[in-house]
Amino acid sequence: MVGARLNANLLVPDAFLAYCVAMLVTIERLTKIFGRFTAVDDVSFAVHPGEIAGLVGPNGAGKTTIIHIMLGLISPNAGTIRLFGKSLEADREQILQRLNFTTPYMAFPVRLTVLENLRVFAKIYKVHDPVAKITELLEQFGIGHLKNKPVSRLSSGETTRVGLCKAFLNDPELLLLDEPTAYLDLQAALQVREVLLELQRTCGTTILYTSHNMLEVQRMCNRIIFLNRGKVIASGTPIEVTRKILKEDRDAPALDEVFIRVAGRQPHEAVSY
Amino acid sequence: MKPYRISAVILRHAYEVRRNANHITYMVYWPVVNIAVWGFFTLYLRHGDHLRPGVISCLLGAVILWGLFNAFQRDMAVGFLEELWSRNLVSLFASPLTISEYVTGLIIVTVAKAMIGLIVESLIAWLFYHYDIFPMLPKLIPFILNLALFALTIGIAVTGLIFRYTTKFQAMAWSFAGILMPLSCVFYPLSSLPSFLRPLAATLPTTHAFEGMREAIERGGFSASHFKSGFELNVMYFILAVGFFRWMFEAARSRGLLVKME
Repeated sequence: MVGARLNANLLVPDAFLAYCVAMLVTIERLTKIFGRFTAVDDVSFAVHPGEIAGLVGPNGAGKTTIIHIMLGLISPNAGTIRLFGKSLEADREQILQRLNFTTPYMAFPVRLTVLENLRVFAKIYKVHDPVAKITELLEQFGIGHLKNKPVSRLSSGETTRVGLCKAFLNDPELLLLDEPTAYLDLQAALQVREVLLELQRTCGTTILYTSHNMLEVQRMCNRIIFLNRGKVIASGTPIEVTRKILKEDRDAPALDEVFIRVAGRQPHEAVSY
Repeated sequence: MKPYRISAVILRHAYEVRRNANHITYMVYWPVVNIAVWGFFTLYLRHGDHLRPGVISCLLGAVILWGLFNAFQRDMAVGFLEELWSRNLVSLFASPLTISEYVTGLIIVTVAKAMIGLIVESLIAWLFYHYDIFPMLPKLIPFILNLALFALTIGIAVTGLIFRYTTKFQAMAWSFAGILMPLSCVFYPLSSLPSFLRPLAATLPTTHAFEGMREAIERGGFSASHFKSGFELNVMYFILAVGFFRWMFEAARSRGLLVKME
């Protein structure tokens, strides 16, 4: 059931609610249309507590839109989202207190220092002993020396790491990471992946991860949800998705090949797996 | 609403004021220039010695209160624009911070900044032009509150427009008060307007505030009717502005504009 398309008709309401509580994330028949463009088309999936799930697909697949809907930044046209067993519409504050997110495409007020920016977010999330927490996170992500630097003087890779520190401020139970290593060089990306895995191991944080780097997804994610043109076209472990989409009996995951196969397909060739 | 989240918004803007010299320009520089120019003008008028008593006081009082009104509505919208320019909106609204907490925090920051301008202007008027607004303050405070409420109402409406139409409407942040100025009877009484414009002017809380101010300065009285009319209009406009803001915010969410604002 998990990772496969949910079918609410198969479950009586009480059982469905119990299922939503057991899953950290339950997305059911989510649709978002911008004008005449369907960005997310009847998408359903669930995420287990403690897993790292990858939301992958080519540009325009709907990954970022789904994350923004999960954060309440975009309202969907149809479908339901339950996080921690609660409805996002009804319990927005409680839900957002327990999760966090980052993307390299967001920014911080540039005149404020790294510490000042993070103190503002620490206040929003009511972090106990904010300076100690911020210092610890900055050290973990290797940017302790930048604490008193204005954000305007940071490189994009350094700003990305400040975003990651912001994402861990409230010890989130669920972390939404939208291409977290996009602006990082190879060494920094490796370091960030190690920190993420370490934090996930020690804190049991559930992570929903988007990336175009398929090797990274293979290394990081227990399970992936493959999207194309707003639809889920396959989900499962990296090897399961490889086999489903390539329709070959592979011994090892080959998500790069899968990605190229899906991204190279013309709209009229769209196939459901 | 959680006070600690409101205080986070205040902290964010306090840091910005400390780091950004533009805020000092807005808070102190322009009020000083404003009162200096009008102060010299009133000194010039005093030499003529043929003005009705109280006219000069009304003029300086109007300059100070209009400056306050302008600062309120501008700082509210500019405070929000700062989030937009720094692309900080996504992080803020993807956090537990609610829109009401954000707006409340912004209102508190705006009030504090406008008060600094008011104090600076009043001190200059007192020290250099011997115009002491402070003894009149008890009678002016109700009208100042009405002006502040209307300015915040406009700030909320303009912020709503910026949410929906992004920076295309950012010029409104600086200019909206100017549109209302001719009809607000800042420097002249309502009776001096052409008769066909008077009913329209009477629909503005600013008109009632400045009429009340003139009553207080010229005759030392308190015009309860102007205060009541201004307040009733304010309540109506405030409710409309909050509804309009929510409508614009939801429209922005629906169109995915919150994540694309630049």
